[in-house]
Amino acid sequence: MKLLLRLDEIVESIIVGIGRVAAWVAVLLMIVIVFDVITRRFLVLGSTKLQDLEWHFHAILFLFCLGYAYLKDAHVRIDLVRERLSDRAKLWIELVGCLLFLIPYTVIVIFYGVDWWHRSFMQNEMAESATGLPYRWIIKAALPIGFFVLLLSAICMTFRKLVQLFAPEELKQIVNEREKVETVHLDEVNIPQFDRD
Amino acid sequence: MLDFFIDFMPLFMFLALAILLFSGYPVAAVLGGIALGFGYLGVYLDVFVPIEFFNIVGRIWSGIADNLVLVAIPMFIFMGTMLEKSGVARDLLYCLQVLLRRVPGGLALSVTVMGTIMAATTGIIGASVVMMTLMALPVMMHRQYNMPLATGTIAASGTLGILIPPSIMLVIMADLLGRSVGNLFVAAVFPGLMLASIYGIYILTVTSFKPELAPPLPKDMGPQTPKEFIVMVMRGLIPPVLLIFLVLGSIVAGWATPTEASGVGAAGAVLLAFINRRLNFKLMREAIERSALTGAMLFFIFIGATAFSYVFRSLGGDDIVIEFVESTGFGSWGILFTLMGIVFLLGFFFDWIEITLIVLPVFAPIVQLLDFGDHLAKIDIVYWFAILVAVNLQTSFLTPPFGFALFYMKGAAPPNVKIQQIYKGIVPFVGLQLIGLTLVMAFPEIAMWLPNKILN
Repeated sequence: MKLLLRLDEIVESIIVGIGRVAAWVAVLLMIVIVFDVITRRFLVLGSTKLQDLEWHFHAILFLFCLGYAYLKDAHVRIDLVRERLSDRAKLWIELVGCLLFLIPYTVIVIFYGVDWWHRSFMQNEMAESATGLPYRWIIKAALPIGFFVLLLSAICMTFRKLVQLFAPEELKQIVNEREKVETVHLDEVNIPQFDRD
Repeated sequence: MLDFFIDFMPLFMFLALAILLFSGYPVAAVLGGIALGFGYLGVYLDVFVPIEFFNIVGRIWSGIADNLVLVAIPMFIFMGTMLEKSGVARDLLYCLQVLLRRVPGGLALSVTVMGTIMAATTGIIGASVVMMTLMALPVMMHRQYNMPLATGTIAASGTLGILIPPSIMLVIMADLLGRSVGNLFVAAVFPGLMLASIYGIYILTVTSFKPELAPPLPKDMGPQTPKEFIVMVMRGLIPPVLLIFLVLGSIVAGWATPTEASGVGAAGAVLLAFINRRLNFKLMREAIERSALTGAMLFFIFIGATAFSYVFRSLGGDDIVIEFVESTGFGSWGILFTLMGIVFLLGFFFDWIEITLIVLPVFAPIVQLLDFGDHLAKIDIVYWFAILVAVNLQTSFLTPPFGFALFYMKGAAPPNVKIQQIYKGIVPFVGLQLIGLTLVMAFPEIAMWLPNKILN
């Protein structure tokens, strides 16, 4: 059990690490767009490549953050009924949701996604436009990989809910603490205060 | 019995969705799970083939990832988050409060102006309403503002962001309806400004007759010398307003696509934080990570909704909907009012993200059937419809007892603010919204004049 808890911690740090690194792709995206806008006005460069690069970054940005967002509990829920339920009922919902919705869904997308990527790879697929970025199959791998990370996060969550529902008190405490640190609710906003004011 | 089930499977899909969404499990995963479940049910009943799941993967890719239009969304989210986290938004509100302190209802008006300028949203209604509540409500309460007036203004102005461009919702609507984002942005300019002006006129009128509802800020607040005053305006007001106008202006003028403008706007927001000497690694990391989470949340629903609507269509959902609409015998106006009623009801329970992504693909084929004769040109209908949905949703978020924005406001307001006060405060604004909605319905030119004028 201790070993599984340790494993959960490691997998979590991998998922969160991937998300946090991928999040910085937003800066690259911003730079590429600004560069594209400037160069297009004043020089005539191959803008198709830059625009391809823009959506490549966009794809990486959201696909690699799916699992990260689930662990942080950032995915939108309809809370109307849920907030009135007991803590135990919420745990059950999360557990059943993972087993019935999220895990089968991610598994199917990965299953067909790998096949889909493989076809692209075998054809050595390029951009539709001759001047676009080559090796389209590289970026296409982001879809199955992103969903795999999401699947990992769903497995972590399933494990945690099982612990919280059925394990002895001390183990529950460890998991509860772990989840408390993590949660980021997107509808909670803090107005920044600065020393200088 | 089984035939009946097969014929109406798409409807059962929606029924299952409606029930299971209230479990509180993430919306995106519920959508995906139901798509999968009904897909396999369809396989079992011989009306769906497994290889279609392969098509769904392709559809997710080409619709969401390989889509230059949607690249604008992470950038607009980042821009809004950066403005919020770097304190630029807070400084702007302070500046407006000081500037408008001699005007009747100045604090309330500053909130309305703020809502209009900051319509480059943080992405979700909840977050913008919470932000406005946290920034503006304490000051108004401290000045003994009439509580319903204060809360009503904040909730209404905070939701204005979904309508006034650059709005993430309009990007998604345009994408789903297969229209140009730039045109839709331009079409939203006047309806958005019109609503903001209606709020402003209302606040001015009420507070002119009853100044005791809205005590002004004390005279000694803010800068005392003209020099300090100019510094404050140059620092707090001019830069963000310039940034928003640059972003919006370049789209309206046709200099830049929304995607280009979003990237430049995001860079501008970083630049503003830098000029204010607040840009550091910690701030950058917070803004980056929060935007990434918001983006992942939004696109995950997009992915789930893509799978859901693919299975829905494949099982014959479109035909059922169109047959149903035709069997009602409603004319175009009847259909329009029905669709508007559905959107309005859904707005009680769901944020625009779910409504737009789940319902709009179902509505899209119906909208194509509409014909309003001389009322407006056929090619303008889709844009006009999108604007109507936007105004309608905004109204729905504000309407008691289930107004989406009102709950967020209650959560962020100090504990002595009662939900009854919030309800009471919003009533006049719902009235104003209905006037606005009626005006856009009766006079499509409010939306369509500008795009037809400058884009043709």
